[in-house]
Amino acid sequence: MMRNDPIKHVFIWPAVLVVLAISIFPLIYSLTTSFLSYRLIPPIPPRVVWLGNYAMLLQEPRFWNAIFTTTLIAFIAVGLQYAIGFSVALALNARVPGERLFRVALLLPMLLAPVAVALVARMMFNPTMGPLNQFLSLFGLVNLPFLTNGHWALACIIAVEVWQWTPFVILMMLAGLQTLPEDVYEAAELENASAWQQFWGITFPMLLPISAAVVFIRLIESYKIMDTVFVMTGGGPGVETETLTLFAYQEGFKKFNLGYTSALSFLFLIAITIIGVTYLALLRPHLEKRR
Amino acid sequence: MSGQGLTGLSLWSRRLVAVGVLAWCLVTVFPLYWVVVTAFKTPPGVVGGPTYLPFIDFTPTLQPFIDLYQGIRGEFFRTFLNSTIVGLSAAAIATTIGAMAAYALVRFEFKVRLGAGFAFFLLALGGYLVFNNTLGFTRPQALLLAFPIALVVAIVANRLPLPGPILGNEDILFWFVSQRMFPPIVTAFALYLLYSEIGRLGFQLIDSYVGLTLCYVAFSLPIVVWLMRDFFEAVPIEVEEAAMVDNVPSWRIFFGIVVPMSMNGLLATFMITLAFVWNEFLFALFLTNSRWQTLPILVAGQNSQRGDEWWAISAAALVAIVPMMIMAGLLSRMMRSGLLLGAIK
Repeated sequence: MMRNDPIKHVFIWPAVLVVLAISIFPLIYSLTTSFLSYRLIPPIPPRVVWLGNYAMLLQEPRFWNAIFTTTLIAFIAVGLQYAIGFSVALALNARVPGERLFRVALLLPMLLAPVAVALVARMMFNPTMGPLNQFLSLFGLVNLPFLTNGHWALACIIAVEVWQWTPFVILMMLAGLQTLPEDVYEAAELENASAWQQFWGITFPMLLPISAAVVFIRLIESYKIMDTVFVMTGGGPGVETETLTLFAYQEGFKKFNLGYTSALSFLFLIAITIIGVTYLALLRPHLEKRR
Repeated sequence: MSGQGLTGLSLWSRRLVAVGVLAWCLVTVFPLYWVVVTAFKTPPGVVGGPTYLPFIDFTPTLQPFIDLYQGIRGEFFRTFLNSTIVGLSAAAIATTIGAMAAYALVRFEFKVRLGAGFAFFLLALGGYLVFNNTLGFTRPQALLLAFPIALVVAIVANRLPLPGPILGNEDILFWFVSQRMFPPIVTAFALYLLYSEIGRLGFQLIDSYVGLTLCYVAFSLPIVVWLMRDFFEAVPIEVEEAAMVDNVPSWRIFFGIVVPMSMNGLLATFMITLAFVWNEFLFALFLTNSRWQTLPILVAGQNSQRGDEWWAISAAALVAIVPMMIMAGLLSRMMRSGLLLGAIK
């Protein structure tokens, strides 16, 4: 039942006002700035260039490189997170021995500061003093260029992302698994369906909505990746691991190229929106079929 | 597969699954173990190559932590305090007003005309441009003038019979949650510019408690509203109806009945928000520079300042990590009681 009481405004307005002020203000501000040629160093008065900044960005190879790198990191990392996370959740749900102990440990990484995690990763991946180097040298692989070679560095960043965010997938999938009805499985058991058939016939389709939500959240969040890269490689070697957020930070905070950076962040916003909408559009037929 | 799913598998596959989970668990725990161990090593103990077991491989020392406390590697103590103060207050404020909004969205009916929303945005944008370019106000002044005007007009417009669709509670919720989709760099950068221009008018927001907390409150609100809505929906409405029959005012129903009944949910939301603020890097990077620097910034700085002094870096990372480890323990205990299940549907 919905009540109608004037006091509802007292309840909702503080939150709306704060979010409006902190999100709409900057939006308008940077939208207008993105049409200007506006630098703080050297201080030239702003000049209207309309879409000039956008055109310049779209011709900039560094921008496309950042988009490509970010997309690569996001898609591979989220794919791995989902595969590993779902498997572990299935195992935990099936009462693997020692399951209680695992839960605390498995939850931990997602609550830790990405900055600290990245520092730890730098230690682990240290090519001379790190434990990973020692472990791999058992197989004859000594002093691998973990963070100094572009491809290795990307792989390491992805590994750290997977390490940190798989717990989130585990948590959500576990919650989803616990809502599944028991009787469907009992019926499948009577029909002598194998565990494999049960998974693809029942578990996976029934968990499709929550899977879609989890992957969506992780994908959007992965596109914002910054702290991990900032600490682990700083975007290097060269710009080979530079993500969109990092690129924007370099342009805006190091060079104070305000108009350009605002345009960049708007292109970023547009890219995220396109990805989100495409994802939802691709998934919609599958989700509706199950209802 | 709920309950006893693995019984369908043979003994060997059961063992395989257990080994797989154990392997992932080791992958998860080993880096954490490594920081803890490294933080107690002496410099020669680190440079000499990897060692694993305290007292057997190397002799533990507290020196890295003493260095940290004495401020040799930056003002750790004050930064820790900053993080705690900003984290606790931002989480408390966000949970309070977010919970109120979530309750309003669950129990009261809201109608917003799409036209009014458009009017707000256009007026805010147009007003800003007019005030800034034509009337010669500075940019923050123009924004501050345009905002209330647009808001008032939008509220009035909402009462008029405008054509166009009417948005309900679900849409308002979606608006809240969609704020999380924004790349934070868009806001962080613009907020930095805005704050510094307001600073030029004499009200310092960059590197201040108010500026940082306000920004964190705004960015935690979407999660809070989303989580708390589910908790409030689980509260049986009969209790509230009974109270309404007795003419208890709505605010007393909320604070006296609903809040105590969903205390666990509030606590969990508070902790999740706290973790989010505690770990946040990008906004702190833009909006602070010395006095109100938070832990992630200082910890990230350890890397470049001193080169590979792993013993000290580990100690620094540990300071940032340990409070969240404790919280993970608390949260998982709440999780076991099925508390967080309601939040995910």
